[in-house]
Amino acid sequence: MPQTTIYAAPRTREQTPPPAVATHQLARLFGRSAALAGVTMRVAAGRTIALLGPNGAGKTTLLRILATSLRPSFGRAEIESIDIVARPDVVRRRVAYLSHATGLYDDLTGAENLAFTATMRSVPEPHAAVDRVLAEVGLTADADRRVRSYSAGMRRRLALGRLLLNDWAVVLLDEPHAALDADGMALVDRLLQRWHEAGVTILVASHQAERVTRLADGWARLDSGLLIETGGSGVEADAPDLVGVPAQVGRA
Amino acid sequence: MNGLRADAAVAWAIARKDARAELRGRQATVSTLFFAALVLLLFGFALGPDARRLTEAAPGLLWLAIVFGSLLSVTRLHQLEVEDGALDELARYPVERYAIYLGKLLAGFAVVLVLGGVLLPVVAILYGISLGEAWPALVVTVLLGAIGLAAVGTFYAGVTVRMAAREVMLPLLMLPVVAPLLLAAVKATTAALAGDPLGDLGAWLQLLAAFDLVMIVAGAATYGYLLEE
Repeated sequence: MPQTTIYAAPRTREQTPPPAVATHQLARLFGRSAALAGVTMRVAAGRTIALLGPNGAGKTTLLRILATSLRPSFGRAEIESIDIVARPDVVRRRVAYLSHATGLYDDLTGAENLAFTATMRSVPEPHAAVDRVLAEVGLTADADRRVRSYSAGMRRRLALGRLLLNDWAVVLLDEPHAALDADGMALVDRLLQRWHEAGVTILVASHQAERVTRLADGWARLDSGLLIETGGSGVEADAPDLVGVPAQVGRA
Repeated sequence: MNGLRADAAVAWAIARKDARAELRGRQATVSTLFFAALVLLLFGFALGPDARRLTEAAPGLLWLAIVFGSLLSVTRLHQLEVEDGALDELARYPVERYAIYLGKLLAGFAVVLVLGGVLLPVVAILYGISLGEAWPALVVTVLLGAIGLAAVGTFYAGVTVRMAAREVMLPLLMLPVVAPLLLAAVKATTAALAGDPLGDLGAWLQLLAAFDLVMIVAGAATYGYLLEE
């Protein structure tokens, strides 16, 4: 039988899969200063992208907007082609966000904090899920202690554990290694690897450039609210177009 | 129906979480109760020993103490959300916004109800009032008043929770709005204690119920906007 070679048809515009995360001229003002100024980027599905840059670069603002915690002043953003301002309810089911703050309740125990999240996120079999997550983040022995008595690293582990109660399309992590010891950092790396293998799109902001770029497919560097450079694979960016945007934007 | 059941579960989870935190931070609850009782005691000193004067003033002073105490309580319930970014996390849950409001309201209602339940006998003892057969009407008045205060307090605590001067702004915003509730609650309490001689107790209770309904609907419809930054 003659061997048949099947050639893939050239990719047309319509066949290109939509990016998991897309922003268009995204800007956010705080008073008269711009924390984010005209960021246009596209992140391919299933890729891990490191967000790099100094303090005040706009990494946290970008992540908070994508997480629907903060409304953009201008521009738009989409998660899996869903506008985050128009349909925040849908986005919140698809996107996990680990912020600087842990968002934990001090007077509840570790297990109670997780159980509350499990209820709010409709996790099936919540008790079993809470036990599993506590074991994963190494807090089983401290599950019934109030979070007020936890160290900063334990709080960070519990906040990370909250993300393990559900499955996600996109995970946004803001300084996930902060306050963690060597074991905690290794835990973060393992989780990044696991999400990556599961095809989850990850954006991770970190000052630990070497550590996160080692785990990432690509990177994007921000400075003074501008996306100034991208590298690796899975992320593309366009130059900011500030025409038509109020003059304050860009004067960070 | 499933949606409503899920929303009820969310509201209950929030109320239970707030109640649990409030009970564990017991000193805040006890301090609020002492503060409100102290207000009643000081009003008593200010009015002097005239028994008739104290009896006439008692309903008004009782409700002023409940209002002041509820200000502290609803502030405390929202303070829980400010600590370490919990409010952002709460706002990110994919749940109906009105369910979050109702959960916070339920917790606020429980705290104000305890406040009213404690202060009612305190005012009876301090001002020498016999509650006698007025109990059922007083219980209904306190129930309706507590719902209204929790509804308004929860809403305005949401308005001020992200403000730096929230402890000052909350009373400034809340007190004018609760004026109709205060009036109706004081009149209903006065009528109940006097045995309802003019037959107007029902009308005041209806006003309280209408106030509660309007505030709950308005709060539930708008609370979601307060959570956004």
